[in-house]
Amino acid sequence: MRVLTRRMARDGWQFSTPVFDIDKDGVGRAVYVAQGPKRAYSLVAFAHDLPPDKRSDRVIADAWDATFTLFDGIPTEADLDRLSRNVPLQEAGRVSESELSLSRANRSVRLWAHVVDALASGRQPDLEQIQKVGYLMRTTAVYGSGKFGAADRDKIADRQETRGPFQAEMLSVFLTRAFVRDLVQHMASVKGGSTAVRLEPGVARQLGIGNSTGLGMAPFLINHPILLNNWIMAREEAISRVRSLDTATDTEVAVFLSMFERSKLSVSFWQSEHPIQLQKLAALKKDLTVLSDYLKQVDLTCRNPWNHLLNWSETALSEEGQEFLASLILEPYGDLVDGLAGCMADASPHLFEIDGSMRIGTVRQAIHDSFGWALGLDWTASESCARVWYVSEEKLEPRLGERFDEPVAAYEQPLAPARDAAAAFVALDDWGDEQSVAEFVLRHPEHRHTIRRAQMSRQAPYSEIRDNTISAAVLPIDMLRAKLSFFGATHFDPRSDRWVRICMYAGAPYPDELTPENADLWVYPEVPG
Amino acid sequence: MNLSLNEIEALAKRAVRGAGYHWGAAEDAAKATRWLCLQGFDGAEELANLLVQDFAPAIKDHSPKSTRPEWRSAGDLCPIMAGVLLSDCAEHLRRGPITLRDVAVPVLLLPFAGNVARRLGVAVSIDCEGWTAVTDGIHTDAKNSYPRRASEAVVRVGGALDDPRIRYSRAAPDPEALSFLNRLAHRTYAPATEQSRLMGAGAGLSDND
Repeated sequence: MRVLTRRMARDGWQFSTPVFDIDKDGVGRAVYVAQGPKRAYSLVAFAHDLPPDKRSDRVIADAWDATFTLFDGIPTEADLDRLSRNVPLQEAGRVSESELSLSRANRSVRLWAHVVDALASGRQPDLEQIQKVGYLMRTTAVYGSGKFGAADRDKIADRQETRGPFQAEMLSVFLTRAFVRDLVQHMASVKGGSTAVRLEPGVARQLGIGNSTGLGMAPFLINHPILLNNWIMAREEAISRVRSLDTATDTEVAVFLSMFERSKLSVSFWQSEHPIQLQKLAALKKDLTVLSDYLKQVDLTCRNPWNHLLNWSETALSEEGQEFLASLILEPYGDLVDGLAGCMADASPHLFEIDGSMRIGTVRQAIHDSFGWALGLDWTASESCARVWYVSEEKLEPRLGERFDEPVAAYEQPLAPARDAAAAFVALDDWGDEQSVAEFVLRHPEHRHTIRRAQMSRQAPYSEIRDNTISAAVLPIDMLRAKLSFFGATHFDPRSDRWVRICMYAGAPYPDELTPENADLWVYPEVPG
Repeated sequence: MNLSLNEIEALAKRAVRGAGYHWGAAEDAAKATRWLCLQGFDGAEELANLLVQDFAPAIKDHSPKSTRPEWRSAGDLCPIMAGVLLSDCAEHLRRGPITLRDVAVPVLLLPFAGNVARRLGVAVSIDCEGWTAVTDGIHTDAKNSYPRRASEAVVRVGGALDDPRIRYSRAAPDPEALSFLNRLAHRTYAPATEQSRLMGAGAGLSDND
């Protein structure tokens, strides 16, 4: 998200709303145009009147409060009419090569009603209620990359502004937030007439866009090993660069300390009812106190201050606190690390192809490097392989089943790289180090998938998740969190072991407010006073 | 209907798996199908022409027996199994042509020849039954008059891209082929049970909050 807002501010993007045709019941269409230096992109939004019994965030829903597509360019009336017949249907409709994404959102019923009622009666909404929920609407799917007829990633992969992964989707959400603000204002004006007041910009800023996400996102990380590697590698490289710095200037230390104070506020807004997340939050809050105390005594003008701080955190803080700190030390160093965002796309599609001339010894070592921890596990034990990833006939979406309780093993998707690597490793036992991979996969086509991944991992050391994705103890929400964190999502709130809500763009400037000064650090809430 | 190449690839992967191939081959076949569509062939129809022959249950009888320069099998060669070997053994083509005996749907070899071409940085050509195709992995010079089956196909380094085909960003597959691939893909989907619905992500939670 911050990659996008920085770019748009730097390049002076212009925003407009040429269409806002919504009736008194909140039904209609709107178009939000983002004009960049070379191209325009338009969010086409459809607002609906959704009965409460139809409101479901699940992927099996078939109606929503609002539906969207990101149009490549500026749509004509004919485009809008075509889209109006398809976008509201979501998966049951078709979009075209002119569309870059397809998404939908549902209201947070309570906050929506509160904000409409407050504004309609001439008051600003209650900040505490806004902070508790964080958003007026949450998206329940944002599809891109050729899904349901949309343009393939290839169409935009060479453009400056969309070369980074998920930039089109992030833009659609950025514009969705503006639409939602305008829609709630419209509904308040309809209800309150001349009594209604405008939502104050400072209050509006605190509203993000929620997202409700299920299992569909978890297989993505396994199915895109190069992308996963590039994301982790960019972050590791950024941390490494900052840890290597000899000294920090007073200004850099001041930025760090200021972001630390502001992040404490963000953590204080973070709500969850999930027992695991509650524990993590409690640990993080304790870490913040420990870190706060430590920062009072440590001298950050010492040699290698950031490396010192991270070394200290390894024994002083929980994992939550350590990762928090690793991200926070990057903040004073935009010039040093922001360029790494350019390395996060998958620019090596040919790593998919197997190099049959590779020696068996090399691929054996590659498997050992990624999965050494998994080779000794008893993969027949029920706790090691309790789960099965499969696709349901009902909605063609990934599900996680119980191998020993449900008849789903025959439909298993290849989403257990550790188990498959262990099996291939055993099969390789009979092969000499000097034999070729081509011969092996010719004799063992069942291991082709694993050999491909092993070869990729030699170029992409962070491509494999170092854990068992089918264990009885697997928590898909951890995979969701990993992916969502790279989008810049905040306030991770699991609703179960496989279903989460998060917040996006809370604190960010709206399109009409975006400047180079406010484009980056908005993720940290301003400390009042 | 007009499909994105991503949709074609996703469907092809599921269809090949549904036809009984291993996931690894399904992944390669899906990329190959996408590549053919990009080059203006009906990749989906050609994949359907192959999968209808139902080689998977006895796939060893349709896979090359060894990596020696003449490839044959007990039955007709499956162009996916021969294709992946061709791609894996790219270096072998430097030493001379590879001859394939009795190949089903030989146009499906072309994407794999494209991999070899890109890897070696040369043009690669396929000759069979009077049809010649040349590719450098990015562009292809080939007519649509390819045979459904070839008693012999010769793959070699060389050839000229005099009249490259137009590249496409969408696919318009034959409707019958599309529906056949969808039927095969359907075999990979688990029938929903009440238990799976109850255990699905987000199940049992109210979203009216």
